[in-house]
Amino acid sequence: MASLSEEVLLVVKKVRQRKQDGTLYLMAERIAWGPEGKDRFTVSHLFADIRCQKISPDGKAKVQLQLVLHTGESTTFHFSNDSSAIKDRDAAKELLQQLLPKFKKKANKELEDKNRMLQEDPVLFQLYKDLVMSQVISAEEFWANKLGGVNNTDPALYDNKQEVGISGAFLADIRPQTDGCNGLRYNLTADIIESIFRTYPAVKQKYSENVPHNLTEKEFWTSFFQSHYFHRDRINTGTQDIFSECAKQDELGLKSMVTQGVKNPLVDLLSLEDKSLDEGYGVRTAMPSTSNANRTVKESSNSAIIKRFNHHSAMVLAAGSGKGETPTDPASETSNTNGNSRDSDFLQPRVKKVKLQEAIEYDDLQGENRPKTVPLNLKKSDRYAHGPVPLQSQQYTTSQEIINSVNYIRHEMANYKPNLTQVLSSTAATSAITALSPGGVLMQAGTQQAINQMIPTDVQGELKHLYVAAGELLRHFWSCFPVNTPFLEEKVTKMKTNLERFQMTKLRPFQEKIQRQYLSTNLTGHLEEMLQTAYNKFHAWQTRRMMRKT
Amino acid sequence: MKLNIEGLLVYFPYDYIYPEQYSYMLELKRTLDAKGHGVLEMPSGTGKTISLLSLIVAYQRAFPLEVTKLIYCSRTVPEIEKVVEELRKLIEYYCKETGESNNFLALALSSRKNLCIHPEVSALRFGKEVDGRCHSLTASYIRAQRHSDPELPACRFYEEFDAVGRQVPLPPGVYNLDDLKDFGKRKGWCPYYLARYSILHANIVVYSYHYLLDPKIADLVSKELCKKSIVVFDEAHNIDNVCIDAMSVNITRRTLDRCQTNVDTLQTTIEKIKETDTAKLREEYRRLVEGLKNANVARETDVYLSNPVLPDEILKEAVPGSIRTAEHFVGFLRRFLEYLKSRLRVQHVVQESAPQFLKDIFDKVCIDRKPLRFCAERLQSLLRTLEIADIADFSAVTLISNFATLVSTYSQGFTIIIEPFEDRTPTIANPVLHFSCMDPSIAIKPVFQRFQSVVITSGTLSPLDIYPKILDFRPVTVASFTMTLARTCLCPLIVGRGNDQVALSSKFETREDFAVIRNYGNLLLEMSAIVPDGIVAFFVSYMYMENIVASWYEQGILENIQRNKLIFIETQDAAETSMALEKYQEACENGRGAILLSVARGKVSEGIDFVHHFGRAVIMFGVPYVYTQSRILKARLEYLRDQFQIKENDFLTFDAMRHAAQCVGRAIRGKTDYGLMIFADKRYARADKRGKLPRWIQEHISDGSLNLTVDEAVNLSKHFLRQMAQPFRQEDQLGLSLLTFEQLQSEEMLKKISQIAHQT
Repeated sequence: MASLSEEVLLVVKKVRQRKQDGTLYLMAERIAWGPEGKDRFTVSHLFADIRCQKISPDGKAKVQLQLVLHTGESTTFHFSNDSSAIKDRDAAKELLQQLLPKFKKKANKELEDKNRMLQEDPVLFQLYKDLVMSQVISAEEFWANKLGGVNNTDPALYDNKQEVGISGAFLADIRPQTDGCNGLRYNLTADIIESIFRTYPAVKQKYSENVPHNLTEKEFWTSFFQSHYFHRDRINTGTQDIFSECAKQDELGLKSMVTQGVKNPLVDLLSLEDKSLDEGYGVRTAMPSTSNANRTVKESSNSAIIKRFNHHSAMVLAAGSGKGETPTDPASETSNTNGNSRDSDFLQPRVKKVKLQEAIEYDDLQGENRPKTVPLNLKKSDRYAHGPVPLQSQQYTTSQEIINSVNYIRHEMANYKPNLTQVLSSTAATSAITALSPGGVLMQAGTQQAINQMIPTDVQGELKHLYVAAGELLRHFWSCFPVNTPFLEEKVTKMKTNLERFQMTKLRPFQEKIQRQYLSTNLTGHLEEMLQTAYNKFHAWQTRRMMRKT
Repeated sequence: MKLNIEGLLVYFPYDYIYPEQYSYMLELKRTLDAKGHGVLEMPSGTGKTISLLSLIVAYQRAFPLEVTKLIYCSRTVPEIEKVVEELRKLIEYYCKETGESNNFLALALSSRKNLCIHPEVSALRFGKEVDGRCHSLTASYIRAQRHSDPELPACRFYEEFDAVGRQVPLPPGVYNLDDLKDFGKRKGWCPYYLARYSILHANIVVYSYHYLLDPKIADLVSKELCKKSIVVFDEAHNIDNVCIDAMSVNITRRTLDRCQTNVDTLQTTIEKIKETDTAKLREEYRRLVEGLKNANVARETDVYLSNPVLPDEILKEAVPGSIRTAEHFVGFLRRFLEYLKSRLRVQHVVQESAPQFLKDIFDKVCIDRKPLRFCAERLQSLLRTLEIADIADFSAVTLISNFATLVSTYSQGFTIIIEPFEDRTPTIANPVLHFSCMDPSIAIKPVFQRFQSVVITSGTLSPLDIYPKILDFRPVTVASFTMTLARTCLCPLIVGRGNDQVALSSKFETREDFAVIRNYGNLLLEMSAIVPDGIVAFFVSYMYMENIVASWYEQGILENIQRNKLIFIETQDAAETSMALEKYQEACENGRGAILLSVARGKVSEGIDFVHHFGRAVIMFGVPYVYTQSRILKARLEYLRDQFQIKENDFLTFDAMRHAAQCVGRAIRGKTDYGLMIFADKRYARADKRGKLPRWIQEHISDGSLNLTVDEAVNLSKHFLRQMAQPFRQEDQLGLSLLTFEQLQSEEMLKKISQIAHQT
């Protein structure tokens, strides 16, 4: 399996996997492991398939490295070389750390999505196998239609995977540990890096600007931790620091947040006071010492911390709530349109009304305590419908009522006189029934026996797949009509060849197969009919187009 | 429901009522019957406002001749709007029940900034700018000038209002600020002037304290309000400070410099006018000889609310000759100014009384007391005569002249302190002259004298007897109401020790103590782990909070807290704090949970409610004593001791405890709400502190929760929160803390209700 042309980047011996000793190979595009004494790999993962790697904590007896794949599976390697286990593991880890991000882009989110969809939907998977793997249509075509269709019909179903927020304390999780020799160790995981990037977009920008052209990843993070930026209490003085710009950007961001103002008028401290005292009046003079000139370094560093905390919390909150803020209440509806002040002035009163009403409401004093209804947002409505059903409170009838109604019905039946003027005569009815029964005049085309008794199950299954595949292709084909763009023209021609190819490669062999088994060829009649209709349509369209051209 | 409050039919716009609301209405009715003043304390969130409004509206309808108007004063703009909305609900209920169309006019009044609809003027950000621009468009002489020069800009809304708006009274209804604006836009009338004009005939006026207490504004707005009005001060726990602020003046070098330029401008303007229009100045002179007689007549016939800056005596006299002509007056101002400048050139702190100051000024620059008293009036007259457009520019000279009048009018109740530098920065010269009012009763006196009933109410007025003392009035009713609860939804805990038995306290000696700070951090950390949604923590001062936050950061406590909740911190910048507040609410809303670190006496502690999940716990770190080293405070304490026999410590504790109560009270906004109140200072356990908390908090402090360690507090909190998390329905409350109409009829219940009000 191992092709010789592959470049082997790292070989680590004495690595156990599933209690078997072996050797770990890191190659240009994959990681592989082979048991000792054999020249084939029993484990091989493309880097593109690997989602992340995890390592065992330092203190643990076993030195392990775990690879988690996009599929959710994981493989654990146990480094068992007594003397150099940790070193080996770290070497592998470092190399992987450099390699994985390169392949990350390949395995982008879309791929994951598709993967998941295929896993969750066996019918789709079969269809995919039938159409794409047998190269009836290309994968792109398959997905173009599928993803679009899915999104249009039910965007909530797949897109509503709730985004995971960021822990407020992610910076606390990288608390440095002294390594015993005048140095500090910071533990960074991919999650933390992701958190940092999402919370501080400025850092992300710096990262993409500088790594890997100017700095290695390690250097970048080292300088990050050394920067004034990271240590919030230090006042930014030097300009050589690449993060000084980030701090400025943060400052700007904070300022813009502040100037944007608040939407809820009840928390707007600026407009709280109705009439402030004029300058010069009042006992409590404004603390004049807040001017920067005579603040001590300590004080301004303190206020810097406070500012940073507010900013940090706001950013974490914003990152958690996602970019596309979904308007849940009228208050947040304004947020998107809050661009200029005039705009918000118009919207303000409405928000204000709602908030004021909320503020003066005493729900327990109100008489009819109508519960506030919340719109039900179901992701899987069938689960809701077929979930455990509580005993329904039914209208039970008393036995007396039942007896009465039985008596009543009996009485009615006794006096029943059919009114037969509007009804068929019995002979006509009988002949109609015979005609409609199997073997009758009208039922001659139909097979007399149910199909499931005549045909073995594997053929049935195959037929079903054929139907699904044909249906999918035909859907593609028919969706092209009316053909009004050049793109659709191209597509319809392609779909027609696809249909023909399908007929040749799938339908024919199946037909031959059932002929070989001496089954009724009629099984595929309907399929052929459908295909024929499509061909007819295509020809009609083509001739019309020819006519127009000439 | 319809209630019978001692023979008065009261419409109450809800189907159920809290027993304390009923009791509150009873007491209020008695106060109104006696035509006296009252002090009523009722916990926040028990529907104080609606009870008040229901009763007074009913009273007004029953006795239209005895009570013509309700003047409802509240503190902040949102509060004002809330009151109007509740009123709207009530009036709608009236219409529904009686089937009559409403003939009540109720409106809110606010500053121009909140009411202006002029497209350019209203776009200005600060209230002062709006006022200034408005003035420059609408002042009477500007408009007079426009007759000769139609090119001058005008405010069409004001012109329209002036032309037709006064003839037709505002139709009956309830007008909130936005309603006024809408109405103004529809009609093309200026809502601000419309509202100011309409309050004269409105049945209910809702506005801010300042319109009644600040003599500068009250003189303009509330002067002609009817004597038979009921005045309500809601959220009145800070009313003494409002009064004092309204009457105090601070003069810095900058003020004097600006004053100097003002005086120069006056001088040049006078000279210009002299060349062109001497008649105008002569006319003014004549008016001044006649004196302030007109004002005097008005006050004697009881048309006006008197102005404490304009004492009765001077109204009878003419403006003294020495400042009657414009040039003389400007010269006089110059002299006064130079004197003040010389006073600011001190090297050490000076404290003196008003008479001492007057003697000194007479000795040094021969300025008599009498002309000083007329200074403010004389300047107003001059500014009018000179047709100065932008009054805002002359704020400095106005300030100085107000100071002159005040200092020469009141020999008592004020003190003058001149500080050459700030205590913290003794090297930087920054001289300030504080002319500080120490007697809040001066500003509020005209209100008590003029109006037949003044009701002071709030959630936290304990101890009740102190307010009549410091405001110098004699109430007919003083009552505190408790909160009847079906479940104890508030849990006050006094945490006095850390887990290591270190005493927790914010007292000055241990402020920097590492152990205390760490234990405080520990408390917050532990609480953040067990309390759902929002926690609000208050510190005693901004400086203190900054230091604690910094050392928590260094010790990594904040980072650990972040694992549980996001952290937001109040800053000294209001806009930034608003942002933090909103984010805080957002974080509580989306379930992440947050902590807000804030400052007692700060804006957040005074004006923001943390209902339900926005505040499941309030932690008060330390006792929020006012900064006791300030000379102004010391002077005031001395004054209180001498005049009212209030001991310094009593007043300081009272002040600290009312702020603490305000802070922790922010979390409970109703009976369905619940919250922890953690007092983290061992001093709260003492009887003199505890005893000054409002009754509705005090009665839930058990002896077992007096001096807890952090761990004990956490355990109690866990227990409490678990109990509170159980579903709470209306049925649980009914009959205990919530009554139907039928339940209200029973003898037994009425007896119970009569015990709610706690008379002192």
